[in-house]
Amino acid sequence: MSLVHWYLLIAAGLWGIGCYGLIRGPELLRRIIALNLMGAAVFLVMVTLAARTDPADGVLHALVLTGLVVAVSATAFALALVARTLSESA
Amino acid sequence: MNFALAAVLLPLLAAVLALCWRRQAARLVWLSTLFSLLLALAALWQVVTFGPASMQLGGWQTGLAIRWQLNELSALLLLMTALIHSLVASYSLSQWRDAGLSADFWPLSALLQSALSSLFLSVDLFNWYVTLELLGLAAVALVLLSGKKALQAAMRYLLLSLAASLCYLLGVALLYGHYGWLDVPQLAVAISEEPVDHRLALWLITAGLMLKAALWPLHVWLPAAHAAAPAPVSALLSALVVKGPLFMLYMIWSQLAGPELAVTGSWLFLLTGSMALVVGGWSALRTPYAKVMVAYSTVAQLGYGLLALGLMLHLTDPAFTQALFIFVLAHALAKTSTFLAVGEMQLRLGGKRLSTFRGASQTMPLAMFAVAVAGGSLIGLPPSGGFVAKWQLLLPLWQHSQLWWLLPVILAGTLLSAAYIFRLVVLAFNRAKPVRPDFAPALLPQWLALLPALLVWMLAFASGSLLSWLGG
Repeated sequence: MSLVHWYLLIAAGLWGIGCYGLIRGPELLRRIIALNLMGAAVFLVMVTLAARTDPADGVLHALVLTGLVVAVSATAFALALVARTLSESA
Repeated sequence: MNFALAAVLLPLLAAVLALCWRRQAARLVWLSTLFSLLLALAALWQVVTFGPASMQLGGWQTGLAIRWQLNELSALLLLMTALIHSLVASYSLSQWRDAGLSADFWPLSALLQSALSSLFLSVDLFNWYVTLELLGLAAVALVLLSGKKALQAAMRYLLLSLAASLCYLLGVALLYGHYGWLDVPQLAVAISEEPVDHRLALWLITAGLMLKAALWPLHVWLPAAHAAAPAPVSALLSALVVKGPLFMLYMIWSQLAGPELAVTGSWLFLLTGSMALVVGGWSALRTPYAKVMVAYSTVAQLGYGLLALGLMLHLTDPAFTQALFIFVLAHALAKTSTFLAVGEMQLRLGGKRLSTFRGASQTMPLAMFAVAVAGGSLIGLPPSGGFVAKWQLLLPLWQHSQLWWLLPVILAGTLLSAAYIFRLVVLAFNRAKPVRPDFAPALLPQWLALLPALLVWMLAFASGSLLSWLGG
């Protein structure tokens, strides 16, 4: 088994764990972390696919960077929403 | 192309200005929607006169640049976005202080318009991901404007929307891994030259987009979120936001699926579309709340879109493409009118339940007229836009007898939509004990709610040019 396959397998595992956490819940924080795990899996797939050529594919790296920015802002938004939910219920 | 570009940038600029200059936010954004409507009209004129155009953002070479494409279809969708936004902004401007709508509505709605317009212009898989995220975040923030009661629905919407985008992104990454292109036209060429098995990527993309567009059975988040939002937001969400992913689904399946895969996919769309029509219609008929009924009606109506998409893939007949997009236009106008009128009546009559509307034909005749007229298009009565879409769907279907089972499904969907519209109309004409308005209903918001309904009935007169523009 090549290194690329190995990393893709790890990504699939991360994706599976993320999906399970997202569906299982029920705490909101747990679901948000699960979403971040799924995001990490996607980024791992992208970086692995980029590493297949020498030099590595720059487009995929740029996509990962953009994806990280989107993921950080979406997570911040979700966390702010959780904070609001908690303060409303308290 | 310049006009289209300006129609994307103007709302973005308005959003930033509205954030800095909150006192004038309402007027600023309203003016920007009117100007972007003019720009979108100019873009459509440009396409019709000079033909389609495309541009590479930033002037990079193909493969690195993001391609934006302006053709008849994207110009029409751009025009629809600008039109609905200007109608909703006019309505909100006329009543936002009465309704207690937060001032945050204005920058967020401008951001939504900018995101959606760029989605319709773009033909790049990754740029679509970015616009989808922008659209999703703006939509969730808009739902949150209702305050505490919307928190749970908004949270659920956000989580599912983020999961859907990740599904889509994984699919895009795998597609890029297979072919090395993100640009859709180039990718289509690469796929037709040396097809690799890219089913997993396509199914992941489809699952993500179906969740985003609230297509049955992934619609569970929609009724709660759309019903909890303030009326102008519900109108934007139901009329426009779900159409973005539907458009992407059309682009991806019509260009990136090979002929064999397209037939497999068409079965998925035909079955889920039929179920959406029947199940969504039934739920709309059973709910006791007015806005939930209108939201379920969106789930049901999206079933027509799915059927048109499935038939287009199954029979490769361009008539179904026309049906799909006329349906998109007609539904956007009719649903805007319904949500605005129902919201206005809820505000003045003071209640969420359908029973609040008892005697509304007497107390708020204009708003009730708007619901009935828009409902006519949802049912598909001639000569409304909904009728044109359904006619375009049924006429070619008649010639393909192997899919006869779709006819009773469409009939059932039509009867169900007639049933839930008439349920409301019958209540409104029950004048024995009308619910009195809490305060005198203002006329202007009711007229503005009626306007899209009148436009959708006039769509039939423009259907000749619409069909020729969508003919390709």
